[in-house]
Amino acid sequence: MNIEQTRRLSEKQFAIMFAALCGLLVVGGIVIHNLAVYGHAAFNLDNRGLFWGLPIIVYDYFLLTSTGLAMIAALAIVFNAEEFRPVLKRAVWLALAGLVGGVAVLMLELGHPLRALWAIPFSFAFSSPLYWKVMAVSFYVVSLLLLLWRLLTPGWTMPALRTHALITLVLAFAVTAIAGVVYGSQSFRPFWASGDIPVAFFFESLLGGLAFIYFFSYLGYAFNPALMPDNLRRLFDERMPALLSLAIFIHLLFVLARLTSGLYGNLEGLQVWQHLARSPLLYLELFVGLLLPLVLLMLPATRTRPWAQILASLLVMNALLIARFEYIIGGQLVPLFKGAWAPDLLHYAPSATEWLLLLVAIFLSNAVNAFGEMRLHLGQEA
Amino acid sequence: MAKWGMVIDLDTCTGCQACTTACTMENSRLPGESWQDVLFYHEGTYPNVKLMWFPRPCMHCENPSCVTVCPTKATYKDPEGGFVLMDYNRCIGCKYCQIACPYGVRFSMDERAFVKPDIRQVFPSGDGRQWNPPYQAPQDDPGRGIGIQPHGVVSKCTFCYHKVSQAPAGVADLDEDVPELKEYVPACVRVCPPKARFFGDLDQPQSTVNRLIADKRGVRLKDETGNKPQVYYLSGGATAAVPSLRSMAAATVPTGPFSPPQRAPDTGAIAAHSADWTADQA
Repeated sequence: MNIEQTRRLSEKQFAIMFAALCGLLVVGGIVIHNLAVYGHAAFNLDNRGLFWGLPIIVYDYFLLTSTGLAMIAALAIVFNAEEFRPVLKRAVWLALAGLVGGVAVLMLELGHPLRALWAIPFSFAFSSPLYWKVMAVSFYVVSLLLLLWRLLTPGWTMPALRTHALITLVLAFAVTAIAGVVYGSQSFRPFWASGDIPVAFFFESLLGGLAFIYFFSYLGYAFNPALMPDNLRRLFDERMPALLSLAIFIHLLFVLARLTSGLYGNLEGLQVWQHLARSPLLYLELFVGLLLPLVLLMLPATRTRPWAQILASLLVMNALLIARFEYIIGGQLVPLFKGAWAPDLLHYAPSATEWLLLLVAIFLSNAVNAFGEMRLHLGQEA
Repeated sequence: MAKWGMVIDLDTCTGCQACTTACTMENSRLPGESWQDVLFYHEGTYPNVKLMWFPRPCMHCENPSCVTVCPTKATYKDPEGGFVLMDYNRCIGCKYCQIACPYGVRFSMDERAFVKPDIRQVFPSGDGRQWNPPYQAPQDDPGRGIGIQPHGVVSKCTFCYHKVSQAPAGVADLDEDVPELKEYVPACVRVCPPKARFFGDLDQPQSTVNRLIADKRGVRLKDETGNKPQVYYLSGGATAAVPSLRSMAAATVPTGPFSPPQRAPDTGAIAAHSADWTADQA
């Protein structure tokens, strides 16, 4: 890339950041207004049984994508995979940007967000998965920031960062696994409860991380493959399609295994699978969000095409959001001892404010990411 | 130290909901925030259908999952009497306790109003609490979840801690028929017209609650969860029985290719009622 191209790219990143900040201002303003006027009644949640809605889904989605990005970067450093060097800084920064968006939404969802800042760390509630999750996220953020700082220091080498990357990897894995335990430990909610949920979350995180690397790397070069350095192109054409395909395949296995056993199971709570099987959302996730990208990435004719890679990553990102929605909501659809006034299965459609919270996370993360592209030159290592 | 527990005789309970009303009045609860509820459902299919009911307070479990999962220790097991209580000053409103409670007995009242008009708007509170009803009981102990809760927290039944904790030490049963003890009896127990509820110390072998549990084979709701409720149910099968969760639910018999047989009971009227409620909310 010559100086002129770099300047133009920087201008485009500024435009992205400006647009994201404008969007954040508008959407965030509406959300704050709605929460100030209606409180949490602005959410479509109630005491019949749906306690965690779209805000929690958004939070977990961004959190797990963040850990996926961090794990990919850390794994590359630990195993001295030099071909991943062009995406390392971007992956780590993107992990932080995603986390900022997700945590911001969580803060708007909690009843007392400021109290949470001191009440959780100083409660020493060792029996609570959420306590450990918050502690793990705290250390994870510190580790990520330090790793980013070292990656921004000229002359870094993978062997020198190996220990630090290993710590980051362990912390990212801990966050992911504990996030799985939060749901998987609810034994009386069979739709959620399973010992393999932390493992499923781990693969979902990796899948999300790979998709995000693809999409945001292209975005970093304004979707112009000609501007991308050769080593990045090589990575995207040779190693990444296989990795992303493998991650999609493993995720598909988890989804189909749970779907099949859930459809045949007669345990109270598993009837949610039949409800899901009648919903077009599931098929959208399976066929458009997962199978189509898998085909695009496996066919030699499309595997190395930038449009196919961008499309595949975008579809996977959406499929994971649908999967997160179905999982978190599905586990709450059977009302627990609510009596005659509760239906057999609850109905949930996010309110306008809840949808806007999703936009808040997207705009905020994109603004932070574009800032990094501009100021930290995330692609420069290439 | 006592371990207070409740016994509810389902053969005696008439489903009159005096307990629900008394609890709501005693604790100034909002509509839809029925700490003590009586759940109505029906079993069987027409013409062999039975209307059933099931009184359901907080179980004040020995091993409460809500306490286990709370990340701030805002909900806790009181060591003095075995109550499961809330500290409104520590709750962050994450609602994990609601997720983790198998009995659905926790409430977050920041959501949309359960019925119109929104009573919170009719009697608004000036000090950050949910509402300010014109008639309310004087007890107020936010550290134990007693009194009207502030916004952004979860509330639950206290077993009328403010009454029970004042009982003379060592008493085995709190019986509303004993004049010197009646002021210490939980509201739902005290008002029960057919005397279907009994309250006493589960740690005292001679207590009436222990005798009833032993003689009439008291059972605990969803005992398989390991929560070990301190509320026991008696049922000789004459009327209501401890239901499964599925028998509570309205019917939607699956029609898909994977539908297992005998999926759910037929309770169409409940489904219709629920649909009306959902439509009203929308």
